[in-house]
Amino acid sequence: MKNQLNEDHLGRIWNWRITMVAGLILLSVALLGVSFGPIGLSFPKIIKTLLGGSNGLQGQERVLLLQLRLPRVILAALVGAALSTSGAVYQTVFRNPLADPYLLGAASGAGLGATLAITSSGGNVYGLLPIFSFVGGILAVLTTFFISGKFFAEPNSLLLSGIAVGSFGTAVQTYLQQRHSSALRPVYSWILGELTVANWQVVKWSSLYIISSILILITVSKQLDGLMLSDEESFSLGINPNKLRIIAVAAATLATATAVAASGLIGFVGIVVPHLVRGITHRVTNRSLATIAMAGAAFLVLADLGARTLLSPAELPIGVITAFVGAPFFLVVLRKRRVTQ
Amino acid sequence: MIQAKDLTVRIGERTILNHIDLVIQPEKWTCLVGPNGAGKTTFLRALLGVLPYSGSLTEGGVEVFHSQERNVAFVPQQPQIPLGMSVTEYVMMGRAKKDGWGRESIAGRRFVHKVLEQTQLYGLHNQHVSRLSGGEMQRALIARALAQEPEVILLDEPTSALDLHHQISTLNNIELLKERGVTIISTMHDITLAAMYAEEIVVMQDGNVLLHGPAHSVIHSSELREAFDNRINVFTLDSGRPVIVAAKENLI
Repeated sequence: MKNQLNEDHLGRIWNWRITMVAGLILLSVALLGVSFGPIGLSFPKIIKTLLGGSNGLQGQERVLLLQLRLPRVILAALVGAALSTSGAVYQTVFRNPLADPYLLGAASGAGLGATLAITSSGGNVYGLLPIFSFVGGILAVLTTFFISGKFFAEPNSLLLSGIAVGSFGTAVQTYLQQRHSSALRPVYSWILGELTVANWQVVKWSSLYIISSILILITVSKQLDGLMLSDEESFSLGINPNKLRIIAVAAATLATATAVAASGLIGFVGIVVPHLVRGITHRVTNRSLATIAMAGAAFLVLADLGARTLLSPAELPIGVITAFVGAPFFLVVLRKRRVTQ
Repeated sequence: MIQAKDLTVRIGERTILNHIDLVIQPEKWTCLVGPNGAGKTTFLRALLGVLPYSGSLTEGGVEVFHSQERNVAFVPQQPQIPLGMSVTEYVMMGRAKKDGWGRESIAGRRFVHKVLEQTQLYGLHNQHVSRLSGGEMQRALIARALAQEPEVILLDEPTSALDLHHQISTLNNIELLKERGVTIISTMHDITLAAMYAEEIVVMQDGNVLLHGPAHSVIHSSELREAFDNRINVFTLDSGRPVIVAAKENLI
């Protein structure tokens, strides 16, 4: 029998119900994040406190929620959203499924900046560190573009420039660490990622950059699909590919540099989360960016919860958790994708 | 009407198109033929608007460079195949110019459904484009161009690397556009097929236009032989249809 002409046979390219589910998961995970820890807080009281109702948490518990756990969970969510969204965008722009947010030298630039801050500051490390690592990350990416010269005309040359800048930054960083052995421990702990410094001030400035970057990326997300085609094809479909790449990479780099400045180097989120969302939804479209952002946020809030509670009262570096959980998960997703294909 | 006046394209030190004058009539199928390096693909890319040029290249009186007001579909010889994208997503991208990026109007989806049926891709619509065979991928490219409802379609060697059966079905799909008043401009290595489908043929060599005219007269011209260094033979079948084959010395 001939197929009836019914457009619903095709299935929608993106279903916004998936985004709503991701939002609900994020809210639930965030609630878990603020509730669990060495001192448990009850869900109803947390909700009452957050909504400003009476009978909420009092005294130390209130301080614990509002001054420690809440900013930490929000920062984890922001950093997770930033890294996963940037990873997804880099993978599209460079047409490389293994691209991650640290690809263009942002990680080693930020690492060098952080090392400089730690080795040069007398004691006020945490005041300088975010600024130095943010500037270091941005400078490294700009250097990568400057050295490549051809910008996006040859993505491979840009990637190789990123590797060269990254290696150079790491070399200088290692040299500085050798010269200042007292800096080894704080630098190492920063490299493994940490959210212990989270406070409302960090949340305030990082949310400004991260949320605006993600909003820009979501605004252009529909067109980003066109970058998966050749430049001629995307031009014929109404896109100015180079302009779009510059907007996308600038916003993704700003989000990454901010995330690194706020929390150190947290690996795997930028690769695992986009692949996870695409693997579950069977959609490669960049219209999933909002979902990827929320999934990344939920992933890092959970990872931070693990980092805080697994060896409680001691803390594990969050980067250890993301790599420990992320790597096998990544392999499962890859295997599943291969089977379904 | 598409008009090139003194059109020159240089890439680095090399002159790829050399002071070309050409008028291409709308709503007709014009085919560019000539040996490799003649400048056929460069002409298509310039016409798409992505290559800087000197002289003038206009469509409807408007210079085409970086002009995105027009609705021009482009079918490349070697497409960039996106990993993990389904045939439906791929073809749906063709609606971007008409409906806006990411807007899935019901009319647009209905149109894409029809196009997928027309190009015999409906059964494959959930498959990843990266898993398609050469012939299926070519059909997906044509389907995306059909979904675009373009005013002009540019096709770079649409039948290369296809078997004879798929060559004909691909060209028949392209011909569907002619009925909708679309201007079709293609490059093609197979001059016999070009003569079968195109109304106008442009013979190019070394960045120059040697001859431009109705297919039946160009096929029998000395300029066509000259473009291929007299290494082609033109035969005429009983039906009157021309067949162009490579000449080989001592050919029996």
